[in-house]
Amino acid sequence: MQTFPKHGVSRRDLLGSAGLLALSGALVGCGVARSGFTGQPPAANVLTYWNLLGGGDGVRMKEMEAVYQKANPDVDLEAVTLTWGNPYYTKLSLATLGAQPPDVAISHLTRVSTLATAGLLQPFPPEALARHGMTPDKFVERAIQGGTIDGQIYAIPLDTHPFVMFYNTDICEKAGLLDSDGNLKDVDDPEAFIDAMAAAKGITKAWGGAMSTIADPATDWRCFFTLYSQLGGTLLTGSAPEQIVETDKAVEVLKYMRRLTVEEKVMPTDIDYGGAVALFANGRAAFYFEGEWEVSTFLTAKMPFSMQRYPLLFGEEYAVQADSHTFVLPGQAEIPDDRLDRTLGFIRSMLDQGLTWGGGGHIPTWLPVQESAEYKAIKPQSNYADVAESAVYDPPAWYSGSGSNFENIAGAVIGEVLTGRSQPEAAVTRMQIGISKLARTPSPL
Amino acid sequence: MGTATTLPPRTAETPATQPHRRDRRTLSGLGFLAPFLVLYILFLFGPSLYGFVMSFFNASLVKGGLSSFAGFGNYAEAFSTPEFWSALWHTVWFTILTTPPLVVLALVFALLADRLVRGRWFFRLVFFAPYVLPSAVVALIWVWLYTPDLGLLNDWVAKLPGNLAAPTWLGDPSWAMISVALTTVWWTIGFNFVLYLAGLQDIPRDLYEASAIDGASPWKQITRITIPLLGRTTTLVAVLQVIASLKIFDQIYLMTGGGPDFATRPAIQYIYDVGFTDYRVGYASAVSMVLFALILVVSLVWFWLVRRQERVS
Amino acid sequence: MTRQRLFNGVCIGALIAFALLWIMPFAWAIDTSLKPEAETTIVPVTWGIENLTFDAYTKVLGAGNILQWYFNSFVISTLIAVFSVVFCSMAGYALSRIRFRGSTFVFWFILAGIMIPGQALIVPLFREFAAVNLIDTYWAVILPQIAAPVAVFVFKQFFDGVPRELEEAARVDGASRLRIYARIFLPLSRPAISAVAIFTFVWSWNNFLWPLLVLTSTPLVTLPVGLATVSSAYGIQYAQIMASAVLGALPLLVVFLLFQRRIVEGIAGTGLKY
Repeated sequence: MQTFPKHGVSRRDLLGSAGLLALSGALVGCGVARSGFTGQPPAANVLTYWNLLGGGDGVRMKEMEAVYQKANPDVDLEAVTLTWGNPYYTKLSLATLGAQPPDVAISHLTRVSTLATAGLLQPFPPEALARHGMTPDKFVERAIQGGTIDGQIYAIPLDTHPFVMFYNTDICEKAGLLDSDGNLKDVDDPEAFIDAMAAAKGITKAWGGAMSTIADPATDWRCFFTLYSQLGGTLLTGSAPEQIVETDKAVEVLKYMRRLTVEEKVMPTDIDYGGAVALFANGRAAFYFEGEWEVSTFLTAKMPFSMQRYPLLFGEEYAVQADSHTFVLPGQAEIPDDRLDRTLGFIRSMLDQGLTWGGGGHIPTWLPVQESAEYKAIKPQSNYADVAESAVYDPPAWYSGSGSNFENIAGAVIGEVLTGRSQPEAAVTRMQIGISKLARTPSPL
Repeated sequence: MGTATTLPPRTAETPATQPHRRDRRTLSGLGFLAPFLVLYILFLFGPSLYGFVMSFFNASLVKGGLSSFAGFGNYAEAFSTPEFWSALWHTVWFTILTTPPLVVLALVFALLADRLVRGRWFFRLVFFAPYVLPSAVVALIWVWLYTPDLGLLNDWVAKLPGNLAAPTWLGDPSWAMISVALTTVWWTIGFNFVLYLAGLQDIPRDLYEASAIDGASPWKQITRITIPLLGRTTTLVAVLQVIASLKIFDQIYLMTGGGPDFATRPAIQYIYDVGFTDYRVGYASAVSMVLFALILVVSLVWFWLVRRQERVS
Repeated sequence: MTRQRLFNGVCIGALIAFALLWIMPFAWAIDTSLKPEAETTIVPVTWGIENLTFDAYTKVLGAGNILQWYFNSFVISTLIAVFSVVFCSMAGYALSRIRFRGSTFVFWFILAGIMIPGQALIVPLFREFAAVNLIDTYWAVILPQIAAPVAVFVFKQFFDGVPRELEEAARVDGASRLRIYARIFLPLSRPAISAVAIFTFVWSWNNFLWPLLVLTSTPLVTLPVGLATVSSAYGIQYAQIMASAVLGALPLLVVFLLFQRRIVEGIAGTGLKY
């Protein structure tokens, strides 16, 4: 205590603080401050909309929001993009529990059942949907059914977004991988696929393909689940470790994935999401594997590329991991009709802009758009529209869904295999034990 | 009101003879304490009790109330869950990684700066400035420095002799915590540095002069005079550092999200994950209580150390 | 003597080397933020800026809510600092100067609070605020942070050092306790007030976990939470990210430059750690 300064706050200090105060006060209106103190929403005409769409998706969503805003000048659309994955759903849950949810939010279809069972969502009343022309028959059945729980519709699907393959047309041509039409030759075979990437590696002098392997469990899970489903593997048939994933099939898939990075070295072992995008964008990798949404990034980069469904490497029947972005109504209390109508008007506007959204790679689930000639004319984005039929979704469970604990645990060990730090057998065991523990925990819902 | 008894020595106070005065004093004492105590009970003491109670129930975030009684079930689950132990270990591992450099480097910096006659303020500014930054800013800057391929640090490593390959700083499970620790050292060393600078001010200059006359080298002066006399500062720095490190959350959540492969998820993030992401608040409360107990033990050790040092001096 | 000088020279050299290392991340952030986006990802890395631009700053300031977040942080931190100083100094005064029945108990009761780590209370606290419908208001952030036992003891220790004669003289004149506290103790304790105020301000400005949990709507979040959770929706744009980092660093760097001596003396005097 002895070393306190002799005198207190000086005039200079006070002036400084006063300056700061005046500056901040002048910069910002006081409407927000009032709601900060009273908890009241800032204004009645504000429509809040939360999403987790970054990257190219974010750019397109912004465009669509602008179109809506222009057509509805009396509504003040307040759209917020939040960090993807668990942080997003945690924040959505907390806001809803704190009675301050957004009017409408994006949720992955695989997350809807958890949110709805937890009592955090309001269902869409069928008559209100009909009022806005959004009857269930106008959606891809698989997607609208996925959001229907006990006969009540909790989610309006915007798209189906499968895991796909991008390829650099220049490099592939030089490597002799294109047919006479300029499309990629058939790589639907484990060895042919590796050969193609090896050939491309000869041209790039760096890598054949790229997929993010570190700090990105979701991507690793998408790739694994695609191949595992092609093998006909099942998930979560019970809560015992061997019922989480089928050991033999999972090991087979992981062995193959490990070959790509560690043994054949056609893909890098240690690369994060941004790094993988960059490798493909600047031509140091000829193939890139991710959800189709990254198409916007490569269109912006004005690079020579095309895309198609992820190859069928195992088994006979095509399968691919996918999920859907859906609109949900967060809230624990019934929504007043006028608010609901405004929100539904917004959702309808987003659905009607399915061409913009589809341009970002997503397969529209709103049939008026999906079946339109305009959508079919968007290339290469509509190349893989038919895989929506073969889409496999994450299994339902309170700890499952896009970016969930399930994906984090499974994806993390898959990533360890891809980086060469873990052996396939050990990884499968860890995956089984880790998820089995969650499966045995009584559901908190 | 007699002037002589306005402020009696404590032992001379005889409550039996002055009940009226005592009541008034109690009233005014509690009056002064009331605003603080109300908030203290509502937001610190009360929640601690509530958390303790909740830890014995299967409480869910999305259901009201406490739900069914779990007995010691939540504790039993925590102690038998590898994730809990690994999260606790990450917290301890982070503490082990950060405390020695944060104490030793801070001491070194302070010893070096103490030899300056002029310009000490500059180094104080440089070393302390990072400390006032929000964790979010620190994370943004360092994630960029650590970016594979494009980051500055990779570039530096590539320029080192020996053709080393830079580690994937935040992406490699065995490096991620070290990288976070490195960032933390940069971020928070200023605080300890300032404490040491103040400690150095308290060492009488004539001690150095006397030893210089005896022919002691600067190194001898440091090891024989300075460091031993800084003992109390070192205890303070070390214990504050350990307690702060045990509460690690921000920079890990922001830089790695607890990954890769959960290799950096600390105890507080585990509480956050199970409580808010998984909605299992009963279980999360049990984990909180364990962490609480751990920090309490460290704090008590500190008290004990300080008291012992006081008795010695 | 030459040995002494040589030693000093080596010390200063080492110190300068460390200082350069410590400045590097800042410098690199500023450097990146002033580059056009395309130049940020060039390998090998270069420090030079060929086409200096403030694009990233205009974009960040224009697109985001960053000014709003400044304002929120400022309001919240200021109120916490003011309330902490008032409430904690009152409590510190009572503990230091008023002997009443149970004062020893209260002393230990508050002292015990120093050991309660706030982070371990997030779960019960959140439920508390949700129950009274204060989630997503400034109050949810402000109220729990006022009750800082450490600040009480900083004031108590300070008041313990105030000579009793001053107080006795006032009591002779018939001044009430409140008057003595407000007219004698508070003016005398400016150093303690400024230490507690500055520290509480900085600490609450930088607090992350709790505001992350309770401030849910974007216009209301504090600066660190906003920077960390709201993505720009324009992909990975390093220049913009660094511009937002620099903007996020500015306010407290200014506070630090203004109050440098006081902060440093405050740490040395109290060992306050946030």
